[in-house]
Amino acid sequence: MFKLPNIFAVTLLSVAMVSGVVQADGHKYNLGAPASADEIAGWDIDIRPDGMGLPVGSGNALDGEAEYETQCAACHGVFGEGEGRWPVLTGGEGTLSDERPVKTVGSYWPYASTLFDYIRRAMPFTAPMSLSDKQVYGITAYVLYMNEIIEEDFELSNENLATIRMPNEDNFYVDDRPDVKNPRCMADCADVSSMMLASSLSGVTPIGHFVEGADAPAASHEGQHNLETQKEAKRKAEITGEEVSESLSAEPAMLSVQAQAGEEVYKGACFVCHGSGLAGAPKVGDATAWVERVGQGMNLVISHALEGYSGSTGFMPPKGGRMDLSDEQVTNAVHFMVESSH
Amino acid sequence: MTIPSTKELLQTMQEAAENLSKNDRRDFLRKGVSYLAGAAAVGSAGAASGASFSTNLPPNEPIWGRQLGSGVVANPYGEPSHFEEHVVRRTVPWLTAESISSISMSPIQNLQGIITPNGLVFERYHAGVPSINPDEHRLMIHGLVDNPLIFTMEDLMRFPSVSEIKFIECPANGGMEWRGPQMEALQFTHGMLSCCEWTGVPLKVLLEEAGIQPEGKWILAEGADGAHMSRSIPIEKILDDTLVVYAQNGEMLRPEQGYPLRLLNPGWEGNTSIKWLRRIEVGDMPWHHREETSKYTDLMADGRARRFTFVQECNSVITSPCPENPIKKPGFIEIEGLAWTGRGKIKGVDVSFDGGVNWQPAQLKGLVLDKALTRFSFQTKWSGQPWLLQSRAYDETGYVQPTLAQLREQRGVNSIYHKNSIHTWQVQPTGEVKNVQVT
Ligand code: HEC
Ligand code: HEC
Repeated sequence: MFKLPNIFAVTLLSVAMVSGVVQADGHKYNLGAPASADEIAGWDIDIRPDGMGLPVGSGNALDGEAEYETQCAACHGVFGEGEGRWPVLTGGEGTLSDERPVKTVGSYWPYASTLFDYIRRAMPFTAPMSLSDKQVYGITAYVLYMNEIIEEDFELSNENLATIRMPNEDNFYVDDRPDVKNPRCMADCADVSSMMLASSLSGVTPIGHFVEGADAPAASHEGQHNLETQKEAKRKAEITGEEVSESLSAEPAMLSVQAQAGEEVYKGACFVCHGSGLAGAPKVGDATAWVERVGQGMNLVISHALEGYSGSTGFMPPKGGRMDLSDEQVTNAVHFMVESSH
Repeated sequence: MTIPSTKELLQTMQEAAENLSKNDRRDFLRKGVSYLAGAAAVGSAGAASGASFSTNLPPNEPIWGRQLGSGVVANPYGEPSHFEEHVVRRTVPWLTAESISSISMSPIQNLQGIITPNGLVFERYHAGVPSINPDEHRLMIHGLVDNPLIFTMEDLMRFPSVSEIKFIECPANGGMEWRGPQMEALQFTHGMLSCCEWTGVPLKVLLEEAGIQPEGKWILAEGADGAHMSRSIPIEKILDDTLVVYAQNGEMLRPEQGYPLRLLNPGWEGNTSIKWLRRIEVGDMPWHHREETSKYTDLMADGRARRFTFVQECNSVITSPCPENPIKKPGFIEIEGLAWTGRGKIKGVDVSFDGGVNWQPAQLKGLVLDKALTRFSFQTKWSGQPWLLQSRAYDETGYVQPTLAQLREQRGVNSIYHKNSIHTWQVQPTGEVKNVQVT
């Protein structure tokens, strides 16, 4: 019988290995590790209109009301009407074909499951994924209740959420574009006598970078807010005859070690409100907004930041809604804010 | 403003420089030079004689020819010349309540070719830019698959890679102008648009690795950032050309663009290309999440709304001239612009000088790639006459970019997204360019 020389057999084997991309278990590359049921459960947060993904649990609008007021109302308003420019969550029914439609959970959203899903994955804005399932059920029920979709005492649960019908569900349809057919006309394509020309409004976009002397709005949110605050101060000064302090955001001060340690926390957890003064938060860098507060003593100011505080200008959620932060981290952030606002 | 004479300026600089330590010197000189350049720019804008007082012009030997510059790795990463400081992303602050869930636009008026440099790619976040440690980043694939898998970045980069040049556009690009023109610059009318060479693995390959089950018809893609942004995508798209991307224009993704991992759905609305991608679930129907119901649905005049309007239809715009790039003087001019379509390749672009009454074909130049920005050009002369300048692109499916009137007739003015109508620049006898609408 013919026998392969040993050396040849070895060569054959190695050729097979080099070209053998198909592995014994049928996978092409065999990269990646199996995802365990536990790992999947931790990350699998999505909910579908048919209820798939809902965690076992329940809550009602009565439970949700207080939670909503502490966690959500600062931005979305006590009645979901939206503070300042933050999103509106209620109202707008029957406006979708109006000149200025108001799209809200009640007037526009096709499925209630989306509300549970979105609140759980993304809200409150400053502390996503911080709510318990129980809280999400309660708050979802409350937002639905404010939109007159369920009753105040309706116990919203994984059993019944998929049965709730939203008023606008049937008004969505799948993309049917291309909806316009423009022929490629080359000559005499429009009637000049009926042509209308509309010019841009001026002064709504920041164009100071290429038009010399353009009185354009500032290019950043921060800048825009400063501009508005300055204008307002000027208007006030014209009435009262008071002096206007020119610089709102003072030169960066020398910071204590504690304040330096707090800067990161401030940026991640507090800046969203305190950077611009939104929702009635005292603006960092605006000395007048802070002087009286600090006058009460740092201990009180810090305890307000830790425990939450409802003063004359708005509502400060406990730790800015970031219950994952330690007391020390929040305290450091307060030092940073106060020291940057002299 | 009084401009110091060059001599005075150089003298002051010299004196001050002598008092500086060696280390401070380079920085000082740099500032000095940019001041000079600033003064020159003011001069040239003001008077026809231009920067005649500059000692850097012939017959003089310029300052940079009489001294040394900085050495290697003075700036190990490198950045554009500081004379290009105006080439930056910009936002229109009133669009959103704050900057954390907001959008910025690419300065397409200043870019050449079809590639957007990484630092200028437009930004859109819903919860700010997360800082993700790639060693701790994971991509999970589960749902209707035979083997749920978790990949590390190292795993993903071990797969055979592909690199493709594709545009990304936010479907809200131009969306502020359904009712009328109001953005006074190209960066704001069309800047939610960028094009990069993206490197990664086809998602199809990863799904095959997990073994997709026959009932699997949609996927849900989800981000790892605070917004956990999620979108449902039909499986046909995945099997066609969806990529899982870790690099752009040769380097790892920028944090703003999803570092260390993002999805890329070529030609589809930008928000489907989930950034900071951490999870893919396979399912048998779509999820109808917030970003595909409350947002990114197109409200029609009758109060009904289109959903899953994925494709970015054929579009184009003239980038020079434009409000930021006025015509400086009569004579030869190359009219240039960008065209793109989510349905494949650009077939051609026409240009009109009279607001769309008559059209002439422009030339496509450089690369003409599938679902990539494509540059067009039309060479002509301008002798100070007013123009109503337009471009109209058509793609390989035969679709021709529509007029605004045609879009409004079909959709009304409240659909926000997918406004791809022909754009008009009014060139004035001064050479200035204004954003207008012709209907
Ligand atoms: C600090 C301000 C802030 C707080 C507090 C906050 N939100 Fe929001 N909310 C936002 C912003 C900003 C958006 C829009 C985010 C985006 O589009 O990326 C939003 C969006 C929403 C939306 C979607 C609106 C729409 O029409 O699409 C819902 C629903 C919502 N929030 C519910 C809540 C609930 C419930 C809470 C309390 C648990 C909460 N929010 C707390 C700022 C806030
Ligand atoms: C959702 C918006 C919001 C966020 C986020 C937020 N704050 Fe506030 N904060 C407020 C408002 C509103 C007030 C003003 C309340 C009043 O006086 O009516 C306030 C007030 C304060 C005060 C002054 C308290 C006093 O005694 O006058 C401190 C200190 C403070 N916040 C610290 C923080 C810190 C630290 C963080 C981040 C960990 C933070 N805040 C995050 C809204 C916010």
